[in-house]
Amino acid sequence: MMEKILGKKSLPQWIRKLSSYKIYAPAKEGELWNFKVIDRPESVELDFSQTALSPKKIIFPQREVLLEFNSNENEVEVRQILSDEKPSVIFGVRPCDARALTLTDKVFGGDFEDPYYWKRRKATALVGLACTPPPSENCFCLSVDGSPYSKDGLDILMTDLGDRYFLESLTEKGNELIKAGRELFQEPKASDKKEAEKIWAESAKKIKRQVKELKKIPAKLKGMFESPFWDEESLSCIRCGICTYLCPTCHCFDINDEIVSSSPLKGERVRTWDNCQFPDFTMHSSGHNPRPDRASRLRQRIFHKFQYFVERYQNFQCTGCGRCVSKCPVRIDIIEVLDKVRDYGS
Amino acid sequence: MAHNVYLPSLARIIEVKEEVGGARPIKTFRTQFVSQNDFSFRCGQCAMLSVFGKGESMISISSSPLVKDYLQFSILKMGRVTSALHEMQVGDIIGVRGPYGNGFPMEQWKGKNIIFVGGGIGLAPIWSVLNTALARKEEFGDLMLIYGARTSKDLVFKQELEELRQKMAVHLSIDVGEPGWKEFVGFVPQNVTDKKPSPKNAISITCGPPIMIKFVIKALKDLGFEDAQIYTTVENKMKCGIGKCGRCNIGLHYVCKDGPVYSWAELKKLPQEY
Repeated sequence: MMEKILGKKSLPQWIRKLSSYKIYAPAKEGELWNFKVIDRPESVELDFSQTALSPKKIIFPQREVLLEFNSNENEVEVRQILSDEKPSVIFGVRPCDARALTLTDKVFGGDFEDPYYWKRRKATALVGLACTPPPSENCFCLSVDGSPYSKDGLDILMTDLGDRYFLESLTEKGNELIKAGRELFQEPKASDKKEAEKIWAESAKKIKRQVKELKKIPAKLKGMFESPFWDEESLSCIRCGICTYLCPTCHCFDINDEIVSSSPLKGERVRTWDNCQFPDFTMHSSGHNPRPDRASRLRQRIFHKFQYFVERYQNFQCTGCGRCVSKCPVRIDIIEVLDKVRDYGS
Repeated sequence: MAHNVYLPSLARIIEVKEEVGGARPIKTFRTQFVSQNDFSFRCGQCAMLSVFGKGESMISISSSPLVKDYLQFSILKMGRVTSALHEMQVGDIIGVRGPYGNGFPMEQWKGKNIIFVGGGIGLAPIWSVLNTALARKEEFGDLMLIYGARTSKDLVFKQELEELRQKMAVHLSIDVGEPGWKEFVGFVPQNVTDKKPSPKNAISITCGPPIMIKFVIKALKDLGFEDAQIYTTVENKMKCGIGKCGRCNIGLHYVCKDGPVYSWAELKKLPQEY
């Protein structure tokens, strides 16, 4: 593992050295921070707290064209939209959001590899920023096997030491980025790493929220599928879907044909994010709906993240970013729901 | 790069047959790939069919894998894509990707009697297995079909069913009596009870509306069938067909990939959410 020190003032110069890459970094628009393509390296500021959306949207965009089709008389032509991806670097990735990509990797990988996801994933390097302090009052990464300085999924982890960053390169991709600006970096002193470790430990202590004994939840849920618990917990849900739209691990999507012109037929097959909290998500064309009410849909969300995903992939499908808690308009709080599940019936 | 899992192959409709008319019409389509294709499938697997400009729909393949000249799909007109398919003619092009799903474990059924129990369009997935078993009759025991629909007009594969009587036991039913109907009148599960297929060295496959499946399973259990001897197929709304889009799951199973075929022993362990 390569460790380096970068003066804060040198960050724009480093980014300028990465001119062969498309650069993303958090940028403020109105009240919100979000990842944007950066044209001016000097505009990059890493003093944001939490981006509204995770960088998932860069790897798995909210809307993307999969195919184009043309039809004339009895002939049809179909063309896949799978252009080469320019190598990209995302700066300022929070450790929970990088871990989230390691989870969507499992879904989009496997025996049916998703070429759209992977062309971006493979072309993208993730430069993380340790959370010092925790960016949200609803952070609970420690409960789901994460931490404010977790390295999972990152190519480089940066820690803010005040006037400089302590960098750890974790992969070959990370090494390449550092090599591109090698003259800007200094070798760290032993005290630099100690300082970073101290800051990490202090930050972890500042995380306010937690789900105790989360490991008990998957087994507990198994016996609660038919429980009236879900009716009660879901009563206030207005099925806006923001919990899953903002979630860095949620991956559900829809595929639809959009017509550009009807005669001759020309159109696109488009993938968009979809949402298990919407009533028509599972509705058959006959009208039958296996998850017809709020209770069954909240149950699906919790079971997917803390039971089905755990059995399938041995990971919680949650990295504790807290976005769903902070942004739910009716204050459905996944941490409280999980606390209640753990204590249910005891 | 490996094949794009979302890219359908083009197939031309070479035959359209109207099976059932009226308010719930069913048509059978035969399709041939436009270019050389290595599509090979197991009985009970499905394919994602495209009507370009309308979208995709997951449909069970009703022809036998032993038939190499075409793929056959029997389709009930229901939503946007199946309605568009019903408008299509011989010569029109659709998209086909797949095959998807697990299929029936027929290799475990060597030497066994097979009782097929279908209702309405549920004969489509059965048809692939039934014709495969018939073509390799020496590998299996006795074959029996118990099939019914609301009215005689709603039965699919009518002509083929008449021909089938020469080769195996066929018991048809309609829900309410009609002039000239000589066979069983009543629901499919009642016909199962009436015909009393023996569970000895047997497998039963049942496909049809969920309510029918529920009572067929009960009827078979009453006749002494074990849970592991009863197979069925499950349907759910699907978009990707490859276990990623997140909507067809029953518990941790994605029906598109881990199903659609389940023994009752397997299915009863899953949450009752389908």
